[in-house]
Amino acid sequence: MSNLLWNIGYPHFLVLAAVLFLIGVVGVLVRRNALIILMSVELMLNAANVTLLAFSRMWGDISAHTFALIVIAVAAAEASVGLAIVVAVFRGRHNVEVDRLNTLRH
Amino acid sequence: MSRILIVMVAVLGIGALGASARADDAPPPAACPREIELGVRNALGPMVAATTAGQTPITCRVSRPPTHLENGVANAGAVESVIAQAQLSDGRTAVVEVAPTGKVLSVHYAHSDLSGSSTKAMALVFWIFALVSVGGAVFVITRKNLIAAVMGMVGSFLGIAAIYMMLYAQFLAVVQMLVYAGAIMVLFVFVVMILNRPEDEPVAPTGRIGQGLGGAAILYLVVRLIWLLGRVEPPNAELAAAAPPPVDQCIEWQNHACVQMGSYDWGSVRSVGTDLFGAGLFPFEAISILLLLAVVGAIAIARPLHTEDDAPAKTRAEGAA
Repeated sequence: MSNLLWNIGYPHFLVLAAVLFLIGVVGVLVRRNALIILMSVELMLNAANVTLLAFSRMWGDISAHTFALIVIAVAAAEASVGLAIVVAVFRGRHNVEVDRLNTLRH
Repeated sequence: MSRILIVMVAVLGIGALGASARADDAPPPAACPREIELGVRNALGPMVAATTAGQTPITCRVSRPPTHLENGVANAGAVESVIAQAQLSDGRTAVVEVAPTGKVLSVHYAHSDLSGSSTKAMALVFWIFALVSVGGAVFVITRKNLIAAVMGMVGSFLGIAAIYMMLYAQFLAVVQMLVYAGAIMVLFVFVVMILNRPEDEPVAPTGRIGQGLGGAAILYLVVRLIWLLGRVEPPNAELAAAAPPPVDQCIEWQNHACVQMGSYDWGSVRSVGTDLFGAGLFPFEAISILLLLAVVGAIAIARPLHTEDDAPAKTRAEGAA
């Protein structure tokens, strides 16, 4: 047990990433606010990045850093478009709860 | 609320169990063959600690390349190199990769940050930042107040940036802080300020059967992921535990052939940039187009659809009528 606590290895980083990813999954599944769902998706992307960097370090392959950088750029694009959609939806309906968004028109 | 907390506690508990179940069946280090010990001593010189009471400071472990499939048959691979560990007189450990002939292939000096020779201070840093990132994430999905959720997210991203730093990804840690904790979260705060409506019921209501099924599915996912990731073994434990060696990368190409190699620190701006503008050039260009599309798309979507002085739309509507 003390070995698990004081001897930090790759499983620690990977399990941390898995826990973060699953918190993101739970957030997407149980919350109704579109903003929280977007943030949970960002959290899942970050967890994937932690996994990428841990494996990169483990195998000694730097190209995963490039991949993680591209994931960050895609996440930024996704956040901007997602928030624009949230603002557009809010303008038409005055709420952003995903349970109530079931038609494409106003 | 309490339901989510129970799920989180279960996630963390199973995480600890999964990490403890890590298999530790690597062969114990043994004394080296004569020619390999000579090669290590030649490479390290007088830094090697003195031999005490018949205990040689140099130990060996045979490393094999990872098993691969060849024509459908598992091939364990021949012995390519031997990993020798040498205790130095100043207390550090040198990890030396030696060919079976005694030729030294590489020398790394073990840092005390990952498995093998971890110090308590680094472990403490890891646990603190893991707690910050997981705590922030739990904060995000449990708070009713949106601003509190965004602040929890910022804390979580800063913790993850520190985790990146522990994985020797300095450049990405800084990018994480600038892009996520800075830019994206400011965007979120702005949108929260625009919406600014308290939620009456943040968690979707479901029946007892739905909750049970969902909880069981999540729990199964947790157990499987942690069972899998807790057992991950680095391909070469000693080299993976040492500080990452500098990366050898091609820095000048001519007619698809490398004419000049460079060697840069792991995770530095130069090493990431050299890879980004070499092998990652096409994804990089594709990302620039994606970002342009995102900018145009975000403006086009967020613009009001019908305004009073929208002359072209009005003419179109009249023409249709």
